[in-house]
Amino acid sequence: MEKIAKKFTIGKVVLWTILIIVAVIQLFPLIWLLDFSVASSNDMFTSGLLIWPEPFHFDNYVKAFVDGHFLLYFKNSMLINTLAVLLVITISIGMAFACTRMHWKLSGLVKGLILLGMMIPIHATLLPNYVIYDKIGLTDTIWALLIPYVAFSLPQGLFLTCGFMESVPKEIEEAAMIDGCGIYRIIIVVVAPMLKSSVVTVAIMTFLNNWNEFMMASTYLSSPTWKTLPFSVLEFTGLYSSNYAVQFAVMALTAAPVVILYIILNKHITKGVAMGAVKG
Amino acid sequence: MQKAYSNKAVILSLVLPGLITFVFAILAPICLSVYYGFTDFSGMGEATFIGFANYKELFHDKAFGRSILNSLFLAIGFVFVQHPLAIITAALLERMGRKAEGFFRCVYFLPNVISVAVIAYLWKFIYDPNFGLLNNIVKLFGGKGDINWLGSGNAIWSVLIVLIWHGFGWGMLIYYTGIKNIDPTLYEAAAIDGADNKITFLKITLPLMKPVIEVNVTLAVISALKQMETVYLLTNGGPGNETQFMANYLYKQAFSSFRYGYGNSISVVFVIICVFATAVLNRIFKEREA
Repeated sequence: MEKIAKKFTIGKVVLWTILIIVAVIQLFPLIWLLDFSVASSNDMFTSGLLIWPEPFHFDNYVKAFVDGHFLLYFKNSMLINTLAVLLVITISIGMAFACTRMHWKLSGLVKGLILLGMMIPIHATLLPNYVIYDKIGLTDTIWALLIPYVAFSLPQGLFLTCGFMESVPKEIEEAAMIDGCGIYRIIIVVVAPMLKSSVVTVAIMTFLNNWNEFMMASTYLSSPTWKTLPFSVLEFTGLYSSNYAVQFAVMALTAAPVVILYIILNKHITKGVAMGAVKG
Repeated sequence: MQKAYSNKAVILSLVLPGLITFVFAILAPICLSVYYGFTDFSGMGEATFIGFANYKELFHDKAFGRSILNSLFLAIGFVFVQHPLAIITAALLERMGRKAEGFFRCVYFLPNVISVAVIAYLWKFIYDPNFGLLNNIVKLFGGKGDINWLGSGNAIWSVLIVLIWHGFGWGMLIYYTGIKNIDPTLYEAAAIDGADNKITFLKITLPLMKPVIEVNVTLAVISALKQMETVYLLTNGGPGNETQFMANYLYKQAFSSFRYGYGNSISVVFVIICVFATAVLNRIFKEREA
């Protein structure tokens, strides 16, 4: 009996040690970032791993907030991402309904075509889209981001929604149909509420993918009007090239919104990501 | 009722918005890429049709070859370093109690939600030869700590470490969910039969995780091929083309070397490679299941 108890505790200790080491590896760079974001630039050249800044330079964050155009870029990111999420969800539900429930010849072909989009790498469209948007005057407009964001999130959205819709029983909508409901009303009132968990997954995947996107944004935008949050970091390195501590502050600041959101919605996000990946 | 379900106008209204977006943002650009790939367009002025000249050049382009090799290298790093670590961590995590389990899961996934822009610049500082975290750690263990992590010879390894670190939580989470879905009675049966942890992991967890591993490996290989953002900000393919990747190379050719036509030909080959790799991986894994 004693032996079992001993083995049990040693096992626990090993388990905890390994998991803590992994946690430190994943977390330490971010702690380092936070630590030096309140230091002064001279503090950077210490030989220790972490420091206790004297005094705390919270003014770094003020500089980061003001000169990093945080408010404008954050507002742009919020607006573009919210619109992209809403559009992807709406379009996915409509298309999934048409492809899984309604009867038409090209249904399989259209669905297959969109799903093919999952294989196409985003970056292969950077060059041609740059020319197209330039020619038709979309450069520097919200559309230059919104259209590709929706397009590249749609295949996965459609895939997940179709998969989920197939598991929703048809009987309820058929009953609604007999009661005289039109197709649009059935989708909005009957089907959409039953798709709750797939809608949450699609929303999370779309949001995470596009929130951090900057390659398309930096290719299609040149004026600050619609620039998104990653630009705070991208532009700042030039502006404060030698003031490292302020650069750290701007990095921490741009990461903050999504980290806070993640901590609040942690359970939904981990569930959504796992569901999206396993089914996608 | 049948009539309502085959109303052409309704179907069109449901399908068209998505279809137009898709054609406009993905399909048409790819077709345009095919066209520009046959020209010597520089980004300005006239585009002259030059046939397959770009593709012939690409075939002998050492930097492009290096890009493909780097992608394979990264894929190997994902599959043989990141994923085994992720599976083991997931299996250990699953045996943890409720609260600790949630906490660690949250911590492991955290780097994933942070923008690549932040991650890339953060690691640029970590690798900094003068005040970087990594050299400070080396000093702590008695080394000189003057290693140029992003210099020639080291750079590709440094890039690999960042990518493996950043994506670790994602892989871990998916494996973790897979392990959670395994029927617990199997573990109970194994325990009754006297199997220890190692045997249980090898004989029950791993075989049952096969479909999850296959999906994860496919995703990892594809993401290794598609890699761009981190490399673009961390090294931009340098020094030389040592850390070059396909997507970054086509971008560089078009916007830094002003060889827009050539960049598009790379783009076309890039799409073909990605589609081909996805199809092949899916085929391999599907056949084995059947």
